[in-house]
Amino acid sequence: MLPDPPSPVRDPAWPLSRSAIGLWVAEGVLGALVYGVLTAAFVLFVPPAGPVPVLRWLLPVLVVAYAVVAIGVRPWIRYRVHRWEVTDEAVYTLTGWLTRTWVLVPVSRIQTVDVTRGVLQQAFGLATVAVLTASSQGTVRVPHLEADVARRVADDLARRAELVRDEAT
Amino acid sequence: MTGPTDGPSWPQSPPGTGPSWPQGRGDDGARRTSPLVVLVHTATFRQARQLVPMLIPVAAITGLDDGATTVVVLAVAITVLSLAAAALSWWRFSYADGPTAVVVTRGLLARSVRTVPNDRIRGVEVETPPLHRLLGLVRVRIDAAAGSVGPGEEEVVVDGVPRAEGDRLRTHLLARRPAPAPRAETAAGGAPAPSEEEFARFDNRWLLYAPLVGSYLVVPLAAVGALFRFVDELPDSVLPDLDGPDLSDVRVLVLAGVVGLVLLVAGSVLGAALVNWGFRLVRRDGSLVAVRGLLTRRHTELEIDRIRGGTLSEGLGMRLVGAARVNALVTGLGQANRRGQLLPLGPREEARALLRRLVEDPGPLLHHPPAARRRRILRAVAAGLLVTALGGVVTATSGGWWVLVAGGVLAALGVPVGLGRYAALGHRAGPRSFTVRSGWLVREQAVLQRRAVVGWRVRQSPFQRRAGLATVVACVGAGSGGYAAVDVAAADVAGFTANASGSWARTLAPR
Repeated sequence: MLPDPPSPVRDPAWPLSRSAIGLWVAEGVLGALVYGVLTAAFVLFVPPAGPVPVLRWLLPVLVVAYAVVAIGVRPWIRYRVHRWEVTDEAVYTLTGWLTRTWVLVPVSRIQTVDVTRGVLQQAFGLATVAVLTASSQGTVRVPHLEADVARRVADDLARRAELVRDEAT
Repeated sequence: MTGPTDGPSWPQSPPGTGPSWPQGRGDDGARRTSPLVVLVHTATFRQARQLVPMLIPVAAITGLDDGATTVVVLAVAITVLSLAAAALSWWRFSYADGPTAVVVTRGLLARSVRTVPNDRIRGVEVETPPLHRLLGLVRVRIDAAAGSVGPGEEEVVVDGVPRAEGDRLRTHLLARRPAPAPRAETAAGGAPAPSEEEFARFDNRWLLYAPLVGSYLVVPLAAVGALFRFVDELPDSVLPDLDGPDLSDVRVLVLAGVVGLVLLVAGSVLGAALVNWGFRLVRRDGSLVAVRGLLTRRHTELEIDRIRGGTLSEGLGMRLVGAARVNALVTGLGQANRRGQLLPLGPREEARALLRRLVEDPGPLLHHPPAARRRRILRAVAAGLLVTALGGVVTATSGGWWVLVAGGVLAALGVPVGLGRYAALGHRAGPRSFTVRSGWLVREQAVLQRRAVVGWRVRQSPFQRRAGLATVVACVGAGSGGYAAVDVAAADVAGFTANASGSWARTLAPR
């Protein structure tokens, strides 16, 4: 593997909680299970002389490949890539695994701050902080922080946004 | 009014809250639309249109024949129904523009009350369809950016008030700070404001651009479609018995083609004229006011304070003749395309000059690195190459060669498209504004003020990483929400973002 060329912009400072790896693995397992069940149903119930005979071996191969990537590879790459940071002036995140996305939103333009906890996230004690602005594309999501960290970050951001808000558009 | 309050989908406010709750016809500001609007709605079957699907089974059950009396009876019945429906909905509709909010009450059985705070109103449009104009009425559309429950509900429509009342409503709603005596402005509503400056005026010669603009070409096509549907629904006995033309004759085909083309051109010019006739854009105090339309006059007002920039868009055909259109990017404006239009169609120079008055010109565009050109061409050719590969397989297995040829042609065509896409790319940060441009089918250049940026989004795919490129999206609370500089050199990203927005963007600078 080639060494990564330098990033176009600085990477945020802080890594996510390590529990995030567990969560992504769990998501991968669930996804692989769903696809596995669907494929098994296809192989069992569609007669062998069915529409496209190639699918009978292609689908299981694809599911296995997906499982390997989603369980064995993706969570670790994601953990290496994902970073976040809250500075005096802005919220800054880096997400993705193949395609990387850096999002920067200044505290002064924050409109609302949400904390959400999905079912799986609750099991791993994690939460997502979503920072919304007036722009539909200017939403920062800091996924999978430890729940108490997420709550503190959200409170802090909401309070500071209140103080420094300029024409919140 | 304490009727059932389980209205369909609008936010309810309990009776007695809000200072401007309309209590019947009291003197607390609840107003009604003009009764004349009942006539308009009867004539256009506005409410009764919903009843037509119910009438058809009724007609089927009672076994109506095709006699003339039946047609008359049906027409009368529909008119009466329509009149009743229009009158009912007029009776149940009231609005009140209080000092802090507009309250609109409506609904036949379930009452619905919608309250829009004045500081959430992003624009007011007064339009005058032809029938309204005959009766001296106008329709006022109030654009409430926040509080929309479902899509298409960001507007509050007050249909059918006298012209003077429409103007009063507009001036009242747009005077953002609660005026000391809002009612006193009534008389001043129609009077022209002291300072007025013309920004743009439509030259009727510009209508000739219309046949090259996609959106105007659609107008005649839609009209033809509607005509065909109408003819389809007519009973056969009404249609004259015509022999189909002899399609084997080449001359007939050519003639039909020419006639169709002429009709298409004429229709698009006519459509553009209907919408844009007498277009005028003036600055009046703190607002930009656009007036246009031949049959339906539209009167749109934008607050200059909320304008964050503008876009200059040139379609493929428009670029051939040097035409362009200009839209304003206004924070929180719904339906930005229609409302924000500052120059619907005009010469490029005129459009640029208008955009410069709106936002400071950041300077000539900087081109993107050669790697961006390779990437654009590769992406444009990819589909063609895929088809070619498929064609190779087909040729090898079954000997069909045409897929291969089609793929080759497609790939070859991709080269100029890719070059065109690359030529459109550009970005530039000036002292107080910045600009990005992209697009080939419709080339769009957005010029934005620095303060418009509410965030930056930098995206890099694995391919872009290898080519040393990145896509930078300026997140903006106006227009489409984000404007992208596609395939900027990765090393330029931090500099561009820092120059194009506040000091906070320096967070992105690599250490």
